[in-house]
Amino acid sequence: MTPFSLWRTSALVGTLLLGTHAAQAETFRWASATDPQTMDPHAVSSAPVLSFLNNVYEGLVRRDRDMSIEGSLAESWEPLADEDGWRFKLRQGVTFADGAEFTAEDVLFSYQRASSEESDVRSWFAPVTEVRVVDDFTVDFITSAPNPLFPDSIANFMILDKGWAEANDAALPARDAENFATINVNGTGPFMVQSRDPGVQTVLVPNPNWWGEVEHNVTEGIFTPIGNPATGLAALLSGEIDFIQPIPLQDAVQVEERDGYKVLEGEETRVIMFGFGHEHDTLLYSSDVTDANPFSDVRVRQAAAHAINMDAIDRVLFRGKIEAASQLVPAGISGYSDAHADGIPYNPERAKELLTEAGYPDGFSFGLKCTNDRYINDEALCRAAASMFAAVGLDAQLSTGPVRDYWPQLREDDFDMFLLGWSPGTFDVEHPVRFLLHSQDDEKKLGSWNFGNYSNARIDELLPMIQQEIDPAKRQAMVDEIVQISQDEVAYIPLYTQPLIWAAKQGVDLTQRADNFFLLRWVTVN
Amino acid sequence: MAHFILKRLIQSVFVMLAVAFLAFSLFRFVGDPISQMTGVETSVQDQDRLREELGLNDPFVVQFYRFTTDMLRGDFGYSYRTRQPVGDMIASRIPATLELGIVALLISLIVGIPSGVYTALRPRGIATQAILMTTLVGVSIPTFVIGIALIFLFGVQLGWLPTFGRGGTVDLGGWTTSFLTVDGWRALILPAITLGVYQLTLTMRLVRAEMMEVMRSDYIRFATARGIPYRSLHYRHALANTMVPVITIIGLQFGGVIAFSIVTESVFQWPGMGLLFLESIRFVDIPVMGVYLVVIAFFFVLVNMAVDLLYLAIDPRLRVKEAA
Repeated sequence: MTPFSLWRTSALVGTLLLGTHAAQAETFRWASATDPQTMDPHAVSSAPVLSFLNNVYEGLVRRDRDMSIEGSLAESWEPLADEDGWRFKLRQGVTFADGAEFTAEDVLFSYQRASSEESDVRSWFAPVTEVRVVDDFTVDFITSAPNPLFPDSIANFMILDKGWAEANDAALPARDAENFATINVNGTGPFMVQSRDPGVQTVLVPNPNWWGEVEHNVTEGIFTPIGNPATGLAALLSGEIDFIQPIPLQDAVQVEERDGYKVLEGEETRVIMFGFGHEHDTLLYSSDVTDANPFSDVRVRQAAAHAINMDAIDRVLFRGKIEAASQLVPAGISGYSDAHADGIPYNPERAKELLTEAGYPDGFSFGLKCTNDRYINDEALCRAAASMFAAVGLDAQLSTGPVRDYWPQLREDDFDMFLLGWSPGTFDVEHPVRFLLHSQDDEKKLGSWNFGNYSNARIDELLPMIQQEIDPAKRQAMVDEIVQISQDEVAYIPLYTQPLIWAAKQGVDLTQRADNFFLLRWVTVN
Repeated sequence: MAHFILKRLIQSVFVMLAVAFLAFSLFRFVGDPISQMTGVETSVQDQDRLREELGLNDPFVVQFYRFTTDMLRGDFGYSYRTRQPVGDMIASRIPATLELGIVALLISLIVGIPSGVYTALRPRGIATQAILMTTLVGVSIPTFVIGIALIFLFGVQLGWLPTFGRGGTVDLGGWTTSFLTVDGWRALILPAITLGVYQLTLTMRLVRAEMMEVMRSDYIRFATARGIPYRSLHYRHALANTMVPVITIIGLQFGGVIAFSIVTESVFQWPGMGLLFLESIRFVDIPVMGVYLVVIAFFFVLVNMAVDLLYLAIDPRLRVKEAA
């Protein structure tokens, strides 16, 4: 008997022994690469924090399995009749984990907290001018202009108990020191934090007073951050954890081939793309073109787009798990333009022609900056792209680095072409238009991730209009126009939608949501 | 003696200041803490305000002065990543690293010294050649490969031992220990072996070399000529003299084990200081990195001083020199 079959047999015996009470609720252990930095829902707007805290805190609205918006602490909402804004009717009979009643005062308090200077989520409330408590269970959010997207934009706005936060000196999020809410939790959500050891282990238990219908059978949820991917995979395959998100793409096969384990594959809403230094006068990293910026010529940008062979990248680097992208948002996101579903096709001959037309028959060299620890296979992708560029004469000088010093380099305009991934936090196309396509405008806080400062007057004009348009057809027409412009001008080269690869034991049922959030209330352990 | 300790303590302060200065000047190249602290939707103005609040716009010298004076007052600052006091974070991670280091060191001694003696006494034996070959392989394979290999063999394939974390711990008033539970010991075995392998090789080769040296010396030869039994000769006379330099090296090794446990802690998700340091680099958590390096320097200083005192106790000639 080989060690492996011995191991399988003993696992089988174990399953039979446990079989008698397998139907009962279970302890569920899971791991992820990053520990949430804080338990304060307004202090850090990062995916690990928001994803984790959605288990214990709740907002007015929440996202369902398919990412659609549904009521949570608000039962219903409607646009205000005589002014711009939204009225939320709150759910009654909801209590926080410590027993305090949930009322409109808590919403107002949480709004003030989340929109304070110390908060990292205040941008969600930029359109809000005032919040009024109408009665104990009715709240009005007044906006400076019609704002059809507002309910969608606050799906991760979590409500704290006013009395609890004030009594514990946590009325404001702590920015550069800890406060009570950094490590303690008191939410209305389906789970409560039983213990927290930052960076080591956090234990959740069901909230017995939760208002919602319980769909899970978890009696205890134990979360462990495991930073090293090989360690995480070993922990899963040795049975010490039930679920891990994410696993490296190259390990998916190993998990699939193993009895008793499964891989969950989905598409994240993150589109990976290349960006250009549109407004640069000259190239920074070229050895042959030093007095001009060829990328300011649309033909050169088109040539670069034609040079990319997405099929080959998909096959070789991603094992056929990615979906090519044509726009800054993937299909399925609100505002995705069906009319422009076809991107610029792979056509190296056309790329060479375009370069010749633009006056670079022999091509030129330039600098390409990429991360090596931010997106799946990011460095390999850039190497592949560089060789594809080289085939048409674009000689990319690749430099890669960790994300912690990548953004500062991009902010200092230190690139000729760069890699970027973007996931629309609001699940609407307005988000990337605001951050990536609108001209840089620090005053209005627009275009803040538009590193190359792509600028088009018509897009700048259309952004406020799509932010305010209520009529879906009219709005889509404007979005289509923006997509048309950005495709024609090759503002970016959208490459593909990043896949989500999770792994779990066979007996675990869970939901993989497109925002890469993991919610314990959808877990059943068989 | 008191004079000696005082002198060493004053020297130590300079050593730690130098480490802090070097570390601090390197941190400017680690990356931007602000972009790691804030979400994508944080406006540039808010980022700038945070940068100002944290004093990151101040000149390097001012930041360094603030860091050292705060440290001297016992204020270790707050982590950029978790907002917790850095002193508490490090203190809570020290037991995990120390216990791992101690067990790793014990493994290296319990296995390393006897095999060192054995290979010295039978330099041409087949077993000796086998041991030397094995340890050569052990020292040339990177630590993380050894760790992952152990995990996949004993954790995944055989399912005997846990693959990550500390398992069950008992809190003894601020010191969480793995030593009091079976679970804790089980979790300790693989990382301790991983961390101990390199030290084991060093210990063994050092003992072997010293022992062979001693065996060649005149007094052993005369003792042999006098007919002192081999057993007494090897283990009383020779080994005792071998151990003097070995103890020194072991002391220094312990400092090394603590400092270089980073890789092992990362592979086993061992919640010690090394793992904390790695996470801190990822998030550009400058206060934690700074304090970690100073704490590690402090460990080295302490261990060195202990070794020197040991020398002083063993070798009377040094005491005379110090007094002069």
